[in-house]
Amino acid sequence: MGGGVTGAGLLRELSRRGLTALLLEKGDYGGGTSGGSSWMIHGGPRYLEYDWDTTRLSCEDAGHIVRLARHLVHRVVFLIPVLPGDRNNLERMETAMEVYDRFQPLKHAHSHVRLTPAEALRAEPGLSPAISGAVTMEEWGVDPHRLTWLNVADAIARGSRAHNHARVESLIVDGGRVLGARYRSDDGALHEARARVVVNAAGPWVPELCALAGVDVRLRPAKGIHIVYDRRISNFAVAAEAVDGRQLLLIPHGPFSILGTTDDDYYGDLDRIEVAPDEPDYLLQAFERVFPSIRQHRPVRLTTGVRPTLFRWRTYEDDLSRRYEIFDHERRDGVAGFVTIAGGKLSMYRLMAEQAADVVCAKLGVQAEVPERELPLPGSEVDPVPAEELAARHGVTAYAAARLLRRHGCRSEAVLSGGPARLVCRCEPVTEAELVHAVRHEQVQSLPDAFRRVGLGSGPCAGATCLERAATVVGRELGWSAARAQEEAVAFRRGLWQGRAAVLDSAGWAQEELTVGARGYRA
Amino acid sequence: MSRATAFARLAAAYARHQVRGRFRRQHPQLANLLATYAPDHLQPVTAAERELLPAMSGCILCGACALAARRYGRVMLPDLAGGHLRSWDLLPSAAADLAGERPDLAAAAAACPTGVPLPEVAAMVARLSQRHEA
Repeated sequence: MGGGVTGAGLLRELSRRGLTALLLEKGDYGGGTSGGSSWMIHGGPRYLEYDWDTTRLSCEDAGHIVRLARHLVHRVVFLIPVLPGDRNNLERMETAMEVYDRFQPLKHAHSHVRLTPAEALRAEPGLSPAISGAVTMEEWGVDPHRLTWLNVADAIARGSRAHNHARVESLIVDGGRVLGARYRSDDGALHEARARVVVNAAGPWVPELCALAGVDVRLRPAKGIHIVYDRRISNFAVAAEAVDGRQLLLIPHGPFSILGTTDDDYYGDLDRIEVAPDEPDYLLQAFERVFPSIRQHRPVRLTTGVRPTLFRWRTYEDDLSRRYEIFDHERRDGVAGFVTIAGGKLSMYRLMAEQAADVVCAKLGVQAEVPERELPLPGSEVDPVPAEELAARHGVTAYAAARLLRRHGCRSEAVLSGGPARLVCRCEPVTEAELVHAVRHEQVQSLPDAFRRVGLGSGPCAGATCLERAATVVGRELGWSAARAQEEAVAFRRGLWQGRAAVLDSAGWAQEELTVGARGYRA
Repeated sequence: MSRATAFARLAAAYARHQVRGRFRRQHPQLANLLATYAPDHLQPVTAAERELLPAMSGCILCGACALAARRYGRVMLPDLAGGHLRSWDLLPSAAADLAGERPDLAAAAAACPTGVPLPEVAAMVARLSQRHEA
């Protein structure tokens, strides 16, 4: 239960060991905490202050992930500028990087360098001239939506099953044993699935599902928000110190820049995360100190997520461990056939899945050998054809082909061969063929699913130019009427607006007004 | 590992760093940095590009520029600012898109309702499309 990256990774791990498993996800794969993350698989140098084991484990697992998902990952090189009065001066910051360098080979990354103020300003002219120098640090970026889906896809190819939009309503419990789950699909039908072992990998929803089995697992959920900008603002990621001394990051990812994150205890509704108006300001205030022009750039949406942090009393949110724990409820609570995995972080998802699979195999009495850790995900098996070649064969621009290769790797050719190469979404760019492929082969059942799977409507125009056309293509595959397709487009646009309106400044509102005027769409 | 042990290790690393610093001369590192990441196409922007980038982000994909000048190379004009100038690291793979037509970008920019400086957009895309191998 739970189709975030951990649940998806576990499904794949179990499938690779020859077991047949079923994954149930109440929304869409990677639509919760995984998608609301900073889109990085990183070791976390800040854990060096209190938890070197987490740094080492994260780096080790990140090393495996970059090999198994090589078409999805890209290097993120940070400039960490130091300003007079910062919590850490340049010497302390470089010391931290010298220590972190010991872990970098684990994830196939380079060591740091130290830059003078002049060098740092040449690398990134947008930095404040007041900096006293900078050090660099390397991490990896990844699209967590695709990473999650490709784990699911690989498991399905090995004989497992997975359903999105399938909400678990109750567990089948008999005589102190969990025997399965009852879940409701999107069409309102109630289904029953029985299994010898049921695993709760629902991230922040873990306590909710544990309660269905009558057991108690406590988390300390923490909310994080990110501001997403319409494009790369810099080729280098930039770190900045916030007013409370926390480290914030501006990360280039594909055609976006992601600025975040906050870290606040969260007590609200997990399915409807509210953002206070001052939260984006907290991020912008920190950044304009090191990157004075940040408010002039164009934010396109706000993302939110809740970390499923393990419960701990009397600890500041930022100091909470990112460790994970696997609970065998038979031993812990006397409830057989039920396992929970809680805590952790994106960069350790593969390790968490592997260890949870060990527990499941032990419970089933299966002596399955641990399979090769870096076996490629679909799309990463072999080197893909170059973008220019792919473009020439299918009549798309080389840029569109390059973007497609980042999503589908060596399977891009098959994706483009399955339908017309006409562009549907110009910003991203998404072709009709890719959209058709997503519906037929990637369990896309709605426009928001297509947003996660192929980036539909995620660009600067927020779907203004493409949603009606996209709804027609998706609707044709799913059997929607014309009225239904229109309703779906309007509802999706409204959803995009909820994430966008919170971050628009006066120039942003003017651009939106012009877009509405130019397109005349129904909001 | 306890928090105290972690701090002790960092303190020891700091002491080593300070001692080494007394005997080590700082050499320029920027060239090394850029050479290391040249295969990943991570080039800096220039100060002039940095200045103009917020204006370059103003494209609303209305298509008015395409009425004045249809394509730049093989790229439909609204896609230059609204598409290509977003994923800078992919531009060297997409250099072939720029071969061909060179339209009147100043006329296209004059038609833009949000004031996107299209000649500068094209120049930046062209610069970032060049391969800089290590």
